[in-house]
Amino acid sequence: MGAVLVIAAKDLRQRLRDRSAIVLGFLAPLVFATVMSFAFRGTEEFHADLGVVDADEGALAAAFLDTLEDPELAGVVSVTLLDSETSAREQVDAGDVAAAIVVPAGFTAAATGGEPAPLRVLTSVDQALSGQLTRAVASSFVAQLNANRLSVASAIAAGVPHERLAELAGAASTEHLPLRADPQSVGAEPLRLINYYGPSMAIFFVLFAIGFAARSFFGEVRDGTLQRMSAAPIRPAEILAGKALSVFVYALASLGTVAVVTSVVFGADWGHPLVAVMLCLAMAMAVVALTALVISVARTERQADTFSSVVVFALALLGGNFVFVAAAPDLLRTLALGTPNGWMLRALTDLATTGGGFTLDLALAALPLAAMLGFSVVVGSIAVAMSRRVVSR
Amino acid sequence: MIVLAMAAASLRRFARDRAALFFFVALPVLLIVILGATVSGFDEFRVGVVDRGSGPLGRSLVAELDRSPAIAPRRFDDIGDARSALRRAEVESVVVLPVGMDAALRDGTDVAVTVYADRANTDQQAALSAVAAVVDDQAARIQAAVFATEQAGGSFDGNLELVAGVAAGSTPVTIELDVVDAESDSLPEGFSYSAPTMLVLFVFINAMAGGAAMIQSRTLGIYDRMLAGPVTARAIVQGETTTYLALTLLQSLLIVGVGALLFGVDWGNPIAAGPLVALWALVGTGAGMLSGSVFRTPEQASSIGPAVGMVAGMLGGCMWPLAIVPSALQTIGHVVPHAWAVDAWTTVLSRGGGLVDIATELAVLAAFALGLLMLATVRLRRGLLA
Repeated sequence: MGAVLVIAAKDLRQRLRDRSAIVLGFLAPLVFATVMSFAFRGTEEFHADLGVVDADEGALAAAFLDTLEDPELAGVVSVTLLDSETSAREQVDAGDVAAAIVVPAGFTAAATGGEPAPLRVLTSVDQALSGQLTRAVASSFVAQLNANRLSVASAIAAGVPHERLAELAGAASTEHLPLRADPQSVGAEPLRLINYYGPSMAIFFVLFAIGFAARSFFGEVRDGTLQRMSAAPIRPAEILAGKALSVFVYALASLGTVAVVTSVVFGADWGHPLVAVMLCLAMAMAVVALTALVISVARTERQADTFSSVVVFALALLGGNFVFVAAAPDLLRTLALGTPNGWMLRALTDLATTGGGFTLDLALAALPLAAMLGFSVVVGSIAVAMSRRVVSR
Repeated sequence: MIVLAMAAASLRRFARDRAALFFFVALPVLLIVILGATVSGFDEFRVGVVDRGSGPLGRSLVAELDRSPAIAPRRFDDIGDARSALRRAEVESVVVLPVGMDAALRDGTDVAVTVYADRANTDQQAALSAVAAVVDDQAARIQAAVFATEQAGGSFDGNLELVAGVAAGSTPVTIELDVVDAESDSLPEGFSYSAPTMLVLFVFINAMAGGAAMIQSRTLGIYDRMLAGPVTARAIVQGETTTYLALTLLQSLLIVGVGALLFGVDWGNPIAAGPLVALWALVGTGAGMLSGSVFRTPEQASSIGPAVGMVAGMLGGCMWPLAIVPSALQTIGHVVPHAWAVDAWTTVLSRGGGLVDIATELAVLAAFALGLLMLATVRLRRGLLA
């Protein structure tokens, strides 16, 4: 045991003396998480500044403005009254408002009479989502109006004589839409991007430990220090355990630092601390297993470098460390669950959006933890099976 | 002659390095695919649909959701799965069509379609509005069919068909959509977004990582040995410049070729795109040589170099459109050359811009290239002569 600790401590000292280990393990993930968190600050909350031109000044236009003040819309839309369509166009084009609605002159009179004037929605190509929303808001408003007009027209078409038009219109005006959308809360915390990109950057950079450790192993082979250790009364298993321990501690320290800093500085939610620790432990184990695999497959320092790069970037790409996996197509989301980092991100997404206590968090993280451990066991076993080659070298 | 021989030797050395080839060929292509598939759908709300046995009217509502340009529906069999997807932000809202919806509506009973959307979540509220618009539309037709049945008799189904005909022929109060600006301020979606941005990103990153080769040459004493022969320091600098320029140009051509041939990317006006590619290759050359002369070990160059390149890529709009970040960050982003290159590509690809339209960006990029190259040359020469 003593030899294991001595070897681990020596490896760690060596690692930390190389400044790039500190840069990649501690500095880079924090810088990236910061940049991403600032970059997406505006997109985290959808909000549209909406311009409205009321050229009608009638009852319908007033009713429409009321619907825009609706408490359900208030968080999504803020309304600016504009005086003319020309200025509305300019403001939409300049991006001062995301979209604008023009209620044309005579709208109230026309809508209840024969030839209704259209509501005009001005949008910009760069504000597609706001455009869609504005259009949806406008259509909701005209929906009841149109339903009543349609009811009258349909009754006439179904055979009610034309003379009863006024009576029909009266009857229709008391109708209401029989089908409606009933909004309900799912009771989840919104997923803030720092909760995704903080962990995703921490995991991505901790994967680089694979390359460092594998290179250092072959460096020792090259310099003959490994052979010298083998000559000492230390079992090969102890040497490997010492090296594994140093990778494990480095990975854990890196993940832990980013977890603490993103939690304290950006308020990222890593779930219950104990569950977060378990996830970090599982991830650090996966890194150790992957390092062992790279060492057992590679023959030279150069090959170790190549294999570890491929492993790091393949896992990061598939697991969702580069792209927000929720926005990705189904196939990528499925592939992400073949990687330990993908499982960890999924677990942290769930933890951040439910906000439960230890028991609930543990229940949510149980499957991801099992999957990550399973991954480590499978990868580790392959590495051990191939390691006879390494020991004989 | 010496310059070319040096470049040829360096390129041969590079071609034998499989890790470098992975970053040079496989990674850019993979990222083009993944980013291209992900950076899309900014104009649609993803809506989960759970049909618990609603009947024909429910199915037609689903068809209407499908037809709406604002909504991309995704079917779920299990309501729990749908709610998890909503929590994970995989969908922006979930619509649940209740059992017996069809029968209730035919009876004249009101039906509420549950739409999951959290009040505090603005994305979900916006999606809710889009869903509500489609529901209202369907509701209007049902209301009219029930009304016509009451007033004129006949069957509900017959009248519903009649309503469809009347609706098609009538003049409802409409919404007139008017797009005020024809030209976009961001790149198109899909591969046309990911290919140019990955070009900008990887030419730079691989050049930075390539600095490792220069450091190796330096530590192995290759430069010293060359200087012992009839080779001037100037020739060595020129040889390295040629090497990096060849590499960055190769990387650019690879991405342009893959983008055009595999993903059908239209790279715009060649008279504008050509100089843009060439200037960016020069910026990459400068960055790569600087990396080779600033970092001390090959490991530093091949690990810190790409990290620097990625941060610059993020700031410059390679990973996501700069249009979506706060304006202060857009300004900060223009400290790195990447933002200028992405701006130029936006003009060329989204607005059909020509050489004149991107003159400012090209000038800025030329200044960056010149600055980086001069800095790298001075450092390299000083290192050689020391």
